Amino acid sequence: MNKDDSKPTLTARRAFLGKLGGAATCAGAAVGVAALGVIPAIAAKPEGAPAGAAASGASFPTKDYDWSKHQWGFGVDATKCIGCLRCVEACKKENSVPQNAHQFRTWVERYVHIEGDPEVHIDSQQDPVNIAASGSEKEFRFANRYKDAKVEKAFFVPKLCNQCSHPACVQVCPTGATFRTEDGVVLIDSTYCIGCRYCVQACPYGARYFDEDRGVADKCNWCYHRVTKGLNPACVEVCPVGARVFGDQKDKQSPISLFIRNNRVQVLRPETGNAPNVFYVGIDKEVN
Amino acid sequence: MPKHIFRLVSLILGLIVVAVIAKPFLTVDSFYRFGHYRANAVPEIAAKAPVLQTARYCRDCHTERHALWSAGSHKSVTCEICHGAAQGHTDKNKLPIPKDSLKLCTLCHEAMTGRPSTQPQIQLPKHNPGQQCIVCHNPHSPKIVANAIKVTGDAAAGKKRAEDCAGCHGAEGNSPNDTWPNLAGQSAAYLARILGAYKSGDQKNEIMSPLASDLSPADVQNLAAYFASVPCKPTPPAVKPVGNGAAGKVLAENCIACHGESGLGANPAWPKLAAQKPGYLVNVLKAFKAGLRKDPMMAGVARGLSDTNMADLAAYYAAQSCQPTK
Repeated sequence: MNKDDSKPTLTARRAFLGKLGGAATCAGAAVGVAALGVIPAIAAKPEGAPAGAAASGASFPTKDYDWSKHQWGFGVDATKCIGCLRCVEACKKENSVPQNAHQFRTWVERYVHIEGDPEVHIDSQQDPVNIAASGSEKEFRFANRYKDAKVEKAFFVPKLCNQCSHPACVQVCPTGATFRTEDGVVLIDSTYCIGCRYCVQACPYGARYFDEDRGVADKCNWCYHRVTKGLNPACVEVCPVGARVFGDQKDKQSPISLFIRNNRVQVLRPETGNAPNVFYVGIDKEVN
Repeated sequence: MPKHIFRLVSLILGLIVVAVIAKPFLTVDSFYRFGHYRANAVPEIAAKAPVLQTARYCRDCHTERHALWSAGSHKSVTCEICHGAAQGHTDKNKLPIPKDSLKLCTLCHEAMTGRPSTQPQIQLPKHNPGQQCIVCHNPHSPKIVANAIKVTGDAAAGKKRAEDCAGCHGAEGNSPNDTWPNLAGQSAAYLARILGAYKSGDQKNEIMSPLASDLSPADVQNLAAYFASVPCKPTPPAVKPVGNGAAGKVLAENCIACHGESGLGANPAWPKLAAQKPGYLVNVLKAFKAGLRKDPMMAGVARGLSDTNMADLAAYYAAQSCQPTK
C-alpha cells in the first residue's frame, strides 16, 4: 500500500468519526434535556394513583383520618408509675415485638437511692435479676430486690420513643426509611430499611432496637395504627394508674394539653437539640 | 481543549444524563411526595388492625361483669390486662381466665420499693401467705367493704325479748350444747344483720327462719344490742372436739384479717369466733361450702377447706378465750 495514500485517508476517517461522535453527543444531550421534563411524568403515572388522590386535596393517610388536623403528644407522670410493666407486655402484644426482655419499644426504669451509697441504682425489666423474678424471658416483673435495704428514695420512670421534632435518627437514615409525619410521629418504613443500624446508634435515648428476625430497625410509633383510628396507644390504654397520657396538642382540652398546662413538665436531654415530644413530670436529676 | 480532558468531561456528562433519565424509573412510587420517604408507607402502617380492643369491646357481651367492674376500685385496670388481648375473641375462641391470682395480682400489689404510697400494696409474708387472692377479693371489684349495720337497739328491751331464745342459746346467750352458737358478747352489727337475713329470707334455716319472721325490726335491733352487751361465759364443751387445735391455729392465720386475732373480731360487721361451739362452726363452714349460707368471701374460703380442716379450725376457735387480754 502506498504510505502517502493511507496517511491522509486515516486522518480523514478519524476526523469524520470524531465529528460523528460529537454530533451524537450533542443529540444525546438534547434528548436528555428533553427527557428531564418528560420522563418523570411518564414514570410517575402508573404507580402514582394514590399520589394522584391526595394531590387533589383528599385526606391523607386514610379517608377517615387527616394528618394535618392533629399534632400528637405524650406525657409521663413518673410519680404515679408502680412498675407493674403491663405497658411493656401490652406493647409487645399490640406490635408483635420480639418476646424477650432485651428488645422493646417501651420500657420502665427503676431508680433507687440507698442510704450511705452516693451512686444511684438503676435497673429495668431487662436486668437479669428481674428476668429471673418474672419466671421467663417472656414475662415481665420487677424483683423486690431492695426490700431489705435502707432505701432513701426510689421511683419508677416509664420511657419510650420521644418522637422528636428534629430527630437524629431521621437525619442519619441513608435510605429514607424513617421519617417524621405531619402529625408528629416518627415512623419506620420497614420495607425500605436496609438494617444498617445507624439510627439505633444515633438515638440519644436508646429508643430504637434492631429486630434480627426481620432484619430491620424498629421503635415505638405511639401505636400509629391505633391513633389514626381514634384509639389510645396500647401502653396508655393498659396503664392502671394513669402514668401515661396521650392526646392531640391541637386540642386544648385533650389529656396531653391539660397535662402540660397543669404540670411543670420537662423533657429528656434537651441539650441534644432533638426537641422531644414526650413530657415528663416527677423525674429526678439523674434521669436522662 | 486537550482530547483526554474533553473525553473525560464528555464521559462524566454522559453518565449524568444517563442517571437523570434513569432516576424516575428507579424511584419507587410515592417517594419524595412529602419528603425523603415513601409516602405510601404511612397508610400502610395506619391500616394495621388493633390487637387490644379496650373494655368497651367487652361491654357488648359481658354487660353485667362490665357494670360491676366499672363501678369498683379496679375500673382503671382494663380487662385485657388480666385476660389477654381480645382481638379474635369470640364465643368459640375464649380468653384465658388467670389461674394463679397470687402471681398476677402481686405484679401490681406487692409492696415494693419505689411504688408510690397511693398504690394499695401488701407485704406478702404478712397477708395470708400462699393463699390465692381471689379467695377473698373479687377481681372485678376487689375492695372489701364491711358494711356494719348501725345498732341503736335497747338492751333492756332486748333482754326481755331474749327470754324466748334461752331454750336453745342458753341463759344470757351462753349455749348449753355443741350445735347452737353462743351469742353472748357477739358483735351487735353481725347479729343484727344475720337476724335480719333470717327474717327477710336472705338466709334460710329450718329453726331460725320461722322464729325470726316473728320478730319486728325493733326486736332485731334490741336483741342485737342485748346479746352484744352480755359478757361471755362459755360453757366448756361436753365432748372434746375431734379436730387438732394446733393444726387449726396454723389454718386460722388466714382468718385473722377479718375475724381478728384468735377470733376476737377485727371488724364489727363480721362475727367473733373465739370460744364458739365447735359443732356449730363446722356446720356453718359446711353450709358455706355447700352454698346454703351465702357470702361470696366465705364461700371462697370454705371451698378450700377439707372436712379435716374444718374440724381443726373449730377445735382451735373453741379453745380460745372470748375475753380479750387487755
